[in-house]
Formats: sequence, structure tokens, C-alpha cells
Amino acid sequence: MGKLIFRLVLSFLVFVGVFMLIQDYLTPESFGKYGHYRANSLDDNKKIIPQFKGEDACASCHEDIYEKKSETVSFDDDEYILHSNLKCETCHSPKIDARTECKIKPPKLESTRKMCGQCHSINASRKNKIKMIDMSDHNTEKNCVECHNPHNPWIE
Amino acid sequence: MDRINKNRRKFFQTSAALVGGTVFYSLIKPFEAKAVEANQTELDPELPLWGMGVDIEKCIGCGKCAEACKVENKVPAEPFYFRTWVEQYTIKKDGEVKIESPNGAIGGLEQSVENEDIFKSFNVPKLCNHCTKAPCVQACPVGATYVSPDGVVLVDESYCIGCRYCIQACPYGARYIHPEKQVVDKCTFCYHRINEGLLPACVEVCPTEARIFGDLRDKSSKLVKFMQKNPTQVLKPHLNTHSRVFYNGLSSEVK
Repeated sequence: MGKLIFRLVLSFLVFVGVFMLIQDYLTPESFGKYGHYRANSLDDNKKIIPQFKGEDACASCHEDIYEKKSETVSFDDDEYILHSNLKCETCHSPKIDARTECKIKPPKLESTRKMCGQCHSINASRKNKIKMIDMSDHNTEKNCVECHNPHNPWIE
Repeated sequence: MDRINKNRRKFFQTSAALVGGTVFYSLIKPFEAKAVEANQTELDPELPLWGMGVDIEKCIGCGKCAEACKVENKVPAEPFYFRTWVEQYTIKKDGEVKIESPNGAIGGLEQSVENEDIFKSFNVPKLCNHCTKAPCVQACPVGATYVSPDGVVLVDESYCIGCRYCIQACPYGARYIHPEKQVVDKCTFCYHRINEGLLPACVEVCPTEARIFGDLRDKSSKLVKFMQKNPTQVLKPHLNTHSRVFYNGLSSEVK
């Protein structure tokens, strides 16, 4: 009887031991440090390089444009901010790596009628939020930038 | 006589086993609580607690946020994959609600309902709500998705097995399977950006400041000020997900 129990306990211990070894081998490093996940995954998620550099990065070279953009316009005794609260990258999406390629291949804005219409075309959901333009009626043969400087569009 | 004695002995044995078992269980109980605790969300009170405010009254549905998100996070360009998108709600005068989001609003939303039929119309930006009690985290069988110590629901790409349970579990439809990596992908509040002191890409490009990002623990942050000034709500509060994307001007039609 004692021998049987000894065998049983021994095989049980061996089973537990093997299980723990396998578990230790399969559990990745840093798993469970903060919770039921791999703590190193936080660093993996941090590692990606940002594409949008932020306004400060743009202003460090293009200060003149940045200042022009930040100006307010007075009209009818009211101050209008117009595009001054827009960030550079709202319109100039980083299609290139600006740090190295800005001077070699400056990004071009295409088809500004469509681009401006993205915000300014008539839509009931934009009511009272933004200046809306009827794109099918307002100087249809012209491009917006011919009359409006997007860095400081005037109002009339 | 003999039989009664045996029964009595059995009774004492059973009683002793019950009492002993109860005492033993109460002794190991604290350890059990600890084991359960280890599987739950642990927020670090020393770290920021990230959240986002969305001002529906300001959103114009230009789709710049959805566009920027795809560029920043290399989300596939096809119109089925989004980390964030904008929905246009149009309520007609006859009460019908029309919800559209062609290509997630990339390229700008257009109104498809005649002006005279519109009762009201508004745009609702959607994204991962970064729930404190995230159903997706509970559903993940391998611990590949989790709430980070600073309160962002993240995915461990190298550990995800692509089983799609979390996609089913998410009440906000914020997850998709990345077609090349074959693992789940979702909004991370641009975790790589916020840890460098930058704003998430969608917040950075929003022309009307309809998205506000900040630290909920910092009482002087933009987000906290936004929440003090406006009555904010979360989406699907009845699900008790304790999400951290707060909407101002949320109509009951929004699902």
C-alpha cells in the first residue's frame, strides 16, 4: 500500500514538474509584470516613428508661413481667426519624410477645389460651424488658390 | 448499540471534515483573491490616464482625422479598414434616421438628403473608446490585448493569434483584422506619439478642434476643461464599459 501511494505521489510530482517546465518555456519574457499580458509589448507599441511631426517642427524652418497663418483678420469690428487654428499638417499631410526630403521633393497640393470643398462645401451637418461655399456655383472655372491664400484667406 | 456508535463516529468525522475544510478554504482565500486580481486591469495612479473628448457640435465631417490616422498608422487604404472614422447622421422630417460613412468620411462627407427634408444633421467621429472595463480584453484567450497602465487599450501584435473573439466582443466596432499581418488592429490613441509628447494624429489635424485629447488625472488639462464646460456622455453607457471617449452634443439617435 505504502509503495503504491509513493508511486502515485512521485508520478504526480513529476507531472507537475514537467508542466511547470513547459509553462516556463512557453511563457514569454515579461509576461504578467503589470497584468495578464507581455509588458514588453508596451515598448513595441511605442517604437513606431511618428509621421506627423507637429506644428513646431514645421515652424522651425517655415517661420514666415507660420506667422502669416497665425495672423487674425479684422472685419466688421470682429476678429476672425480663419485658418490660424488649423495645423500645418491638416492640409500638408506628410507624404514624404519632411526631415530629409522637404527640399528635394517639396510636397505638392493637388486639385484645391476638391481639397477646400472637403471642409467648405455645402452640407446641412456643417451649419453654423464653418463658412460654406456652393462649389457648383462659386467661380467654377477657377481654382480656390487663385483668389484665396490658404495661409490667410480673406473674407468679403 | 454497536450501530449507533458507528453512526455517531461518522457524524463527528463528517462534521470535523466540514469545519476543517471551511477553515482551510478561508486560509487560502486571500491568495485566491490575489490570483484573480492579477488578471484584472491595473492602472498606475502615478501615470497619466489618457482620454479623448469629441465635440459633435464642432465636427464638420471633413474626414481629415480618418485620413491622417491611415497615414500615421499605416492602416490599409481599402475602405473596410479603419481605426477611426466619421459617421454622418441625418434625421429627416418624417423621423427616419439616415446614417452614412462612405469610405469612413475620407475625402469629406456629402449630404445625400435634400435640404428641405432635413430635420437635423450632424457628424459623429468614432474610434476605440478605450474602456477601463474592456470587453475585448476579457474575450482575448491569450492575453494579447490589454489595458496599459496609462489606460490605453493596446494589442500585442506578436502574441495575437487572430482568432477574432475581440472583434465580436467590441460593442463599438473599433477592431479589424489587418489583411497583411493577420492580427487584430485598432486605435492606440497613437501610443507612440503621446509618449513623445505629441498629440494623436487625428487630434493634430482636426481643423475645428472637435477632438480634444488629454490626461484625465491632470485637472488643468484641455480635456478636463472641456468636460467641465460641457455636459459629456459616453457611448452605450448601459454596457458598463467605463469608456474614456467623451462626447459633447450626443443625440439619442447615435448608436
